[in-house]
Amino acid sequence: SDPACPLQMASATDARYGQKESSDQNFDYMFKILIIGNSSVGKTSFLFRYADDSFTPAFVSTVGIDFKVKTIYRNDKRIKLQIWDTAGQERYRTITTAYYRGAMGFILMYDITNEESFNAVQDWSTQIKTYSWDNAQVLLVGNKCDMEDERVVASERGRQLAEHLGFEFFEASAKDNINVKQTFERLVDIICEKMSESLDTADPAVSGAKQGPQLTDQQVPPHQDCAC
Amino acid sequence: MTYELNLNFLKELEQETILQVLYRDQMVRKVDEERIRKLKMQLQQLRWKGAKSVNHEYHERSCARCQKSLGLVMNRGAVCNGCSHRVCSECRVCLNHLWKCTICYAHGDMKVKTGEWFFEERAKKFPAQDRHETTGAKLLKSYQKLSKISVVPPTPPPFTVSTGGNTTMLQEISQSRSFNKSVENLFLSLATNMKKISKSQNDMRSDKSLLTTDYGQDVERRKERRSQSDTAINITSRIRNAPSLQRLINGARDDNEVYTKRNCKQGEDSPDSPMSDTVFCGGKKHDSLYSINSTCTEAGNFDMAHVTGEIEFAMRYIFKTYILEVCIKACKNLAYGEEKKKKCNPYAKTYLLPDKSSRSKRKTAVKKNTVDPAFHETFKYKIEYSQLETRKLQISVWHSGALKRRVFLGEVIIPLASWNFEDNSTQSFNWYQLKAKPEKPEDSLVQYNGELLLCAKLILPSQSKKCQYEEQRNGEEQAAAAGQLHLVVLGAKNLPVVRCGGTLNSFVKGCLTLPDQSKIRQKSPVLKKEASPEWKHLFVFDGVTASQLWQSHLDLGVWDQASFGSADQFLGGARLSTKSGDRARYGGQVCNSQSKLQWQKILSNPNVWIDITLTLH
Repeated sequence: SDPACPLQMASATDARYGQKESSDQNFDYMFKILIIGNSSVGKTSFLFRYADDSFTPAFVSTVGIDFKVKTIYRNDKRIKLQIWDTAGQERYRTITTAYYRGAMGFILMYDITNEESFNAVQDWSTQIKTYSWDNAQVLLVGNKCDMEDERVVASERGRQLAEHLGFEFFEASAKDNINVKQTFERLVDIICEKMSESLDTADPAVSGAKQGPQLTDQQVPPHQDCAC
Repeated sequence: MTYELNLNFLKELEQETILQVLYRDQMVRKVDEERIRKLKMQLQQLRWKGAKSVNHEYHERSCARCQKSLGLVMNRGAVCNGCSHRVCSECRVCLNHLWKCTICYAHGDMKVKTGEWFFEERAKKFPAQDRHETTGAKLLKSYQKLSKISVVPPTPPPFTVSTGGNTTMLQEISQSRSFNKSVENLFLSLATNMKKISKSQNDMRSDKSLLTTDYGQDVERRKERRSQSDTAINITSRIRNAPSLQRLINGARDDNEVYTKRNCKQGEDSPDSPMSDTVFCGGKKHDSLYSINSTCTEAGNFDMAHVTGEIEFAMRYIFKTYILEVCIKACKNLAYGEEKKKKCNPYAKTYLLPDKSSRSKRKTAVKKNTVDPAFHETFKYKIEYSQLETRKLQISVWHSGALKRRVFLGEVIIPLASWNFEDNSTQSFNWYQLKAKPEKPEDSLVQYNGELLLCAKLILPSQSKKCQYEEQRNGEEQAAAAGQLHLVVLGAKNLPVVRCGGTLNSFVKGCLTLPDQSKIRQKSPVLKKEASPEWKHLFVFDGVTASQLWQSHLDLGVWDQASFGSADQFLGGARLSTKSGDRARYGGQVCNSQSKLQWQKILSNPNVWIDITLTLH
């Protein structure tokens, strides 16, 4: 079965999509994604490539935070992505870390031509663990893979680090549009998986069978299932 | 870490930038809140439908959902794993090998659709925090508290009332006194910066706005104004090159403002080769433009033959695909493009007026040495049916001469409003008499440069307390009280394309001219690489009274930010005014009375957001 769409039957609410509605509201899920990483690794470019399919070589430092919205069609669902682009600079750190809390998934980016940005990955990962929810999904992305001549971080090192941290790994290029879409789509898929898992565990019948450790922690809200 | 979260440590301009982001985020959130509200309502309705209530006695064995009786042997029903109620087989939804009753299913469905699953998961780690409040909302709140702003909502009207801890309208009005100072702080820095910029551009701007808004009025005055600016040399050289001044003026009306140099006509009609020629835009040089309006021929660089002959074409609208098809079959008895040599190489060209941009242009192949050319070409325009009545189909026939010299051979203009597309008989081919260009372009043929979407609100702070007790005096009070005009520039569409690749780096300038001719100027940030920009930027015109505004007019212009070293380019503008005379000379009655009504609506509905769509000229 497709883990990304646990709800295969048409629900009663789906009928409304037949009607003309504000296109803005016309989506099934809304996911919030955060892109983090050192300054100038290409977070903004990565986002622009994905959202607008555009690229500018000029470097413009992001002020604090910014976001773009893109609606995609994935696993038979319309998913609206609000993708937050953060400033890599230290001075905005208080604002950017505040946004970790609302993110379902992260793209942690380094620059394959910049050793320092790679060395910082561990710290970024710690930040995620500190400020984000426990199930935060993270993809490690080594950007600028078009600049093979200037590469200082071998693919293998990236892969190993990702494995060590428990993240999935991509090398990508916003400039040459390599793996950009794939990165986002993979992240969306992983979030979908987490979503369907959370739904299963929230269901007493299923979670009882699974006897996950979270079952004991979980406070069952009184209104949990039916109001009947 | 979030307790002291605010924007205090940032510079003013940084704060401004981030606030814009926060407001955009607020809009996204409100759309989502609305979606979630609907979802919850639907679930609630579903619940009510099958609800068992205490004061009603139920059959021992009935489905908890549809309340159909269940049998003892057949159709016994089964207990739902989710809610432990017995439901019939119809009220189940199968999920893999398991099933749930319809409500348990809908409940889970809603959990994923609303994102509640995430909040629940997150609450495991941060149980103390407000589940739904986002960082953006928190930041905005802290900012507004600090700067004592109750609300600065560049939010469109549909979402003014929301549930998520946002200040309601009432509070907003009652607190709007403390408003002025803080909003001032917010925008003062920006405004002063903008003023500097716009001052340096004043000459250009007034010059251009003259071209675009007052054209066709006073030739002498216009010449005079131009000569004050550094554009004079260019323009005079242009005049020298052009066939006649009158032609130029007519061209200006047609072409609105884009002047192209003589050699540009070589580029015209060959849009595949981006022009490297110099194009004059309000007198400034632009290098990397191509075929902006592609109406150079109309702008005066062409000869006119004595128009004769007819053109045969058919037109139909395909409702299914929103496509207007124009099939140009042939012409007969055309005038010779070069009378002396008895030479004619005709081709036909169409525009869907008032759009005269290259988007709207279609062209047939050039037929050699004939005055009875057969074209058999079909052009397609994708356009909403409702839009058609605002358009006119212009089919013109041209001679393509040596050295790319163009000669106008005649044209037909069909107002599509009067065309019955639903009647099949109108789809057949017909011959139409070609006509010469009208001496003066019709009002309704004014340049269409897209649309600007706004919402506006006149804020009159003194009203809040008075309104409950002294309603009868409100009118006077409001007219005299200094308030603020808030204008959110939401976005624009169908802007003329002036860059390769079809995108723009656009921004909006607003200029409110008060009765004493003093001006308040505002400018939005530049939105890069968007063909249909959505600035969502708030203009605040402070310290204005309603009575002043009735005598004022507000000019809005959309500009494309120039690359280094050249001037910004005007894309289109519109004026809001109560005076109908202001606009009567162009734009036709429709847009004129429209913008007039919209301005009146804003002024007569203080403290209410009004949505506006303006046609840019």
